[in-house]
Amino acid sequence: MSPGPLGAVAVGPVVVLVGAAAVLGALVGGLVVRERARGRHRVRLEQVAARLGVATGAPSANGDDELAALERHVRAIRAEADAAADARSLLQQALDTLPQAILIMDSSGLVLERNAASEAFVAARHADALVEAAVGELVDSALRGEPSSRTVELFGPPRRVVVITTTPVATGSEPAAVAVVDDITERRRLEAVRTDFVANISHELKTPVGAIGLLAETMQAEDDPAVTARLAERVQAEAVRVGRTIEDLLELSRIELGQLSELEPVAVADVVTEAVARIRPAAEQAGITIDADAVDEGLVVAGEHRQLISALSNLIDNAVKYSDAGGSVEVGASGHHGEVVLTVADHGIGIPARDLERVFERFYRVDQARSRQTGGTGLGLAIVRHVVANHHGSVEVESRLGEGSLFTLRLPVARSTVVAPPEPHDATHPLPERL
Amino acid sequence: MPEQRKTFHQELDEIRDEIVRLAALVGEFIPRGTEVLLANDMHGAQELIEADDEIDALTLRVEEQCYHVLALQQPMASDLRAIVTAVWLTGELERSGDLMVNVAKAARRIYGASLPARLRGLIERMSEEASRLMKYAIDAYVERNASLGAALDDIDDGLDQLHRDYIEAIFECHATHDLGLQAAVQLALIGRYYERIGDHAVNIGHRVQYMVTGWLPEQTGAARLHARAGEGNGDQGEGAPPAP
Repeated sequence: MSPGPLGAVAVGPVVVLVGAAAVLGALVGGLVVRERARGRHRVRLEQVAARLGVATGAPSANGDDELAALERHVRAIRAEADAAADARSLLQQALDTLPQAILIMDSSGLVLERNAASEAFVAARHADALVEAAVGELVDSALRGEPSSRTVELFGPPRRVVVITTTPVATGSEPAAVAVVDDITERRRLEAVRTDFVANISHELKTPVGAIGLLAETMQAEDDPAVTARLAERVQAEAVRVGRTIEDLLELSRIELGQLSELEPVAVADVVTEAVARIRPAAEQAGITIDADAVDEGLVVAGEHRQLISALSNLIDNAVKYSDAGGSVEVGASGHHGEVVLTVADHGIGIPARDLERVFERFYRVDQARSRQTGGTGLGLAIVRHVVANHHGSVEVESRLGEGSLFTLRLPVARSTVVAPPEPHDATHPLPERL
Repeated sequence: MPEQRKTFHQELDEIRDEIVRLAALVGEFIPRGTEVLLANDMHGAQELIEADDEIDALTLRVEEQCYHVLALQQPMASDLRAIVTAVWLTGELERSGDLMVNVAKAARRIYGASLPARLRGLIERMSEEASRLMKYAIDAYVERNASLGAALDDIDDGLDQLHRDYIEAIFECHATHDLGLQAAVQLALIGRYYERIGDHAVNIGHRVQYMVTGWLPEQTGAARLHARAGEGNGDQGEGAPPAP
């Protein structure tokens, strides 16, 4: 054989046939390998389908039916997962609306789930760190299968009382615990208000009535006219005292019911003048001066004249009662951004910080002995609070023991009223220096 | 090895959390002791004195934890400073708790004495200021905020001024016979206790500065001493610690 033009040996028909057979063999081999691979994939698909519980029916030659069934099943699983995620999100939102902090913890102390209110007790500082520590201790008990509860009192400030309750639960085979932290500060405060009110009202009414009865009994057995006259004076004083309490109670009850006879434009200057005039004689007798700023005549609020005078005179009366002889009480009024601000400042004994939030309660007295000496009924500030509520206003108090108190009443300006611009007003009639 | 470092940092975190809890207990002691004093609450005084045992126990536990980490992990650099700072802080906090116990004991000594309103007001304010300083100190520690730590020194000036006003008020009340000598002495000591709590908060601020930067305010004084020694010896004070 001689070499061909490309240097190859010239081939005969046999060689060509052999070459063709080799190519054909390779092609058939490739097809067999591919089919085997498809077969393996089909088997795997069937196994996966069986594991997922998908009925694929009779196996098809190319596995398309299995794939379609699997796709349907995956879609169904995805839909279930989406529904579960939606339900979980809904549950989380519901938990987040709860005021109580809720934490679910596993046996290693890891927080599995928690709501928004629990944020304060995770990696907490200051007083909250004590709540977090107590939760940890109680969760340990719950993980041992013992439900626990503890009340933690925090001095703050602000003072708080929280109740921690833990309950054992299980997640799969692992033990877990649910901790609920409930802030019961407000509940405790309301309980204290109710208990004190019942105790105080019975004291306020029973004491003078009892005294009157006793004095009357003594008078019956007394022959000396001088002693009888003295006893009668005491009876009268006690009757005045109980009469004043009943009068204040009735007024408070009327104001509480929100019975505003008529909302009319009331000039603030008139309210200040009348309230000051009402208290001035008592103040002069006690050696205390009342300094009232001149009030802009254009300052008008929508309200009830009598109630407003009652509120302001109660504040001035209080300031006078708790000031020492030689002291002064400052009364101011000004317009600020659509509201009238009335202030009564004194430099008297002041109010302890812990009593500040309770002074507006009925019959609440910071200093029992002194307030009875001064002849107060214990209802003055409760009346003030209800009057401002009726007028859609607010009342605030700032105080320092031994330095004095500042009461601020804020009332909305009457709509039809044009109020003088605040800046010039402030410059002319500055408020008493804030404490 | 990486696993060991993870455990080590977990231990550091636990120590920090325990310090925060210790500080929270002390922080509660301040308003609680003040209320005991102002309300003449002898039952509360006894409870507070007994509650100090919890502070003592926690202090010892945290110290033990710190020594354990020092011995087994041999921390370096900032980790070492964190542990050393934690040991320092336990002392500062435990002492602050003791000072409020002293307030409760003083309240028992002056039981029945009528405190003038001005003094009561100043005690309330000193208590609030001491609480505020302690809160800032712990915030600085947790946040590793060296600037806040440094600022505590100046913030404490407010408490120092209140303390001076308070001492003046005690003298005035004693002079006007509103306050007996025994009560005046005890009240003066009480004022000193609040003022000392402020100083402990300032010390915590210094320790936080050290933890974060490796520098302590005392190093300035040490540097001055070295400089003076250097001048005396005719050299330039080589080897003196660097100023911040």
